[in-house]
Amino acid sequence: MGKEGMSQGGAEEIRDGEEENMAAWLLGINSLKIQPFKLPPLGPHDVRVRMKAVGICGSDVHYLKTMRCADFIVKEPMVIGHECAGIIEEVGSEVKTLLPGDRVALEPGISCWRCNLCKEGRYNLCPEMKFFATPPVHGSLANQVVHPSDLCFKLPDNVSLEEGAMCEPLSVGVHACRRANVGPETNVLVMGAGPIGLVTMLAARAFGAPRIVVVDVDDHRLSVAKELGADGIAKVSTNIQDVAEEVVQIHKAMGARVDVSFDCAGFNKTMSTALNATFPGGKVCLVGMGHSEMTVPLTPAAAREVDVIGIFRYKNTWPLCLEFIRSGKIDVKPLITHRFGFSQKEVEEAFETSARGGNAIKVMFNL
Amino acid sequence: MSGVTGGEDKEHRNGEENMAAWLLGIKTLKIQPYHLPALGPHDVKVQIKALGICGSDVHHFKTMRCANFIVKKPMVIGHECAGIIDEVGSHVKSLAVGDRVALEPGISCRQCDLCKNGRYNLCREMKFFGSPPNNGSLANKVVHPAYLCFKLPDNVSLEEGAMCEPLSVGIHACRRANISPETSVLIMGAGPIGLVTLLAARAFGAPRVIIADVDDCRLSIAKNLGADEIIQVSTNIQDVGEEVVKIQNAMGSGIDVSFDCVGFDKTMSTALNATRSGGKVCLIGLAKSEMTAPLTPAAAREVDVIGIFRYRNTWPLCIEFLKTGKIDVKPLITHRFGFSQQEVEDAFETSARGVLWPEYPIACH
Repeated sequence: MGKEGMSQGGAEEIRDGEEENMAAWLLGINSLKIQPFKLPPLGPHDVRVRMKAVGICGSDVHYLKTMRCADFIVKEPMVIGHECAGIIEEVGSEVKTLLPGDRVALEPGISCWRCNLCKEGRYNLCPEMKFFATPPVHGSLANQVVHPSDLCFKLPDNVSLEEGAMCEPLSVGVHACRRANVGPETNVLVMGAGPIGLVTMLAARAFGAPRIVVVDVDDHRLSVAKELGADGIAKVSTNIQDVAEEVVQIHKAMGARVDVSFDCAGFNKTMSTALNATFPGGKVCLVGMGHSEMTVPLTPAAAREVDVIGIFRYKNTWPLCLEFIRSGKIDVKPLITHRFGFSQKEVEEAFETSARGGNAIKVMFNL
Repeated sequence: MSGVTGGEDKEHRNGEENMAAWLLGIKTLKIQPYHLPALGPHDVKVQIKALGICGSDVHHFKTMRCANFIVKKPMVIGHECAGIIDEVGSHVKSLAVGDRVALEPGISCRQCDLCKNGRYNLCREMKFFGSPPNNGSLANKVVHPAYLCFKLPDNVSLEEGAMCEPLSVGIHACRRANISPETSVLIMGAGPIGLVTLLAARAFGAPRVIIADVDDCRLSIAKNLGADEIIQVSTNIQDVGEEVVKIQNAMGSGIDVSFDCVGFDKTMSTALNATRSGGKVCLIGLAKSEMTAPLTPAAAREVDVIGIFRYRNTWPLCIEFLKTGKIDVKPLITHRFGFSQQEVEDAFETSARGVLWPEYPIACH
């Protein structure tokens, strides 16, 4: 079940005098427009969801600015957005677990469920993945979307729709902590205190990491990390010559060995620092995707059996995210710093705010 | 292990002074007396019978250093060895005089966290044969902890015993990379390490193993040793894209695990790009300090990079593989030398030439 667009015909979503489904379309560089978005017919295993909360991700901003992200190129108008939660409007004929009125968080990516990777459970790596707002698949910054019911997760009563939308970025942190085996015995270093660094820190805490140190170039981001519970923070530079000195600083801030490092920025410097700072036998998780080719001290790290773990999105993380939020083990609310409504002007402002960075962490749409 | 300058006692037994091959300076090896320490209660004294030369020995020989290890004073060279027990310490119960044993070179502290968690190969207090400042084992006799001496089955020769050391690197790598009947394997580099990795991967059940190298000769040896396919590659980094295609075609299916037994930008880049999503690249070859490689696209396909440093707990398995014939290391032994000044010099020269010659020399007593 694909997601249909403007140019193709689809089933009428204008029924019973209801409103036309509108969405925020990416038309070109820095060009977003709210326009009609025809939904496909509801398949037997699908649900139709009224969007209530949609967050903006760095990748959404990247598409807006460049019409591409890594090898994905936006070749025709595409609905943007993928971090979302909403209320079920209609369920397909075979859907047994969800009902109209249920509040749900959506996992964006539809994998094929037939290839070896899917069958092994590593469905995040499925070559046929159809992911909200990764071209050519439409996103979810819209009044409504149609989505497979198995990718819609019911929110506990005490979890808000905004928190539901936050499950998506939080999932990246949770997946990274799983792959890196974060636990009560692993001291954690987080390179980068942007949204991904912060959700990784929150996830690491929830997994029981006894000590977490966060580093960044920006004072404000570091103070946010401290407020959110970092045990130590350290300010670092963008100058590659400073790696050795900063490794010393990091070890001081940690006061113990670094078992797992998360590079949530993905640059030569952050990766080099992480590799050098990590204890023999430890792991460095490359989460951030800065540069394609990297020049790093890989060999000395390999000679200390410091492994490099790759992270691509997430798999099977929604239930755990929701449990963490429900129980209060993780509080994502402080990450939502700006809110906008769903109008042409506000959509433009929201993206501008997110792109500016500064003190904006997560910009959230309330629809 | 004492050296020439340290005194200790009685290897002046039966009128024989213990001699060893000392590295005195760049390309300067000299057979000279080597005083052994007193035998501790848990030690054994071993008469060395077979000893192989490793690339790291050659590197020490040529440059007086290897990575951060610098040879600052005369040091006995050599670490891949096997021999016959000459004497056992008072508390040694599991070994007897006359036993044929293979030696695991490294004495770890057994007290730090890494040791206690079983990752003793990473012990920061490791004392390793032939890694400065620790003397090696190219000597008539050495003293070594009994728990690091492994008895050889009757059908495993002393030379094969010495081969357990390089083979252990391949075994350890296959373990860390989880080689199994379900993992297809790519090996970059058909030198000694690439070849022991090939043999180990086979022994772990890898269904298909292909190997790439720049050298025809090495590739044909690899084919004779059981590689399913061999691929000749260049040293030109521009060729990575094309070679990845060639390699993937030669495999015929997704590559689950790649071993970089060389450790250059090109071999690592090729391995990272050729490995399937969710697979692993094992970096064994420790050639460069900084590497430039397409790490991000690999990480974005969850291709992990696994580091390898020496080995741990591998001797029993190596010996078992050799005993059952699951692995045959004998073809790797291409040259033999005796233990005299001239022959030691010849042997190192031969091994040092290794870049041009597909050989793996061993010095025998």
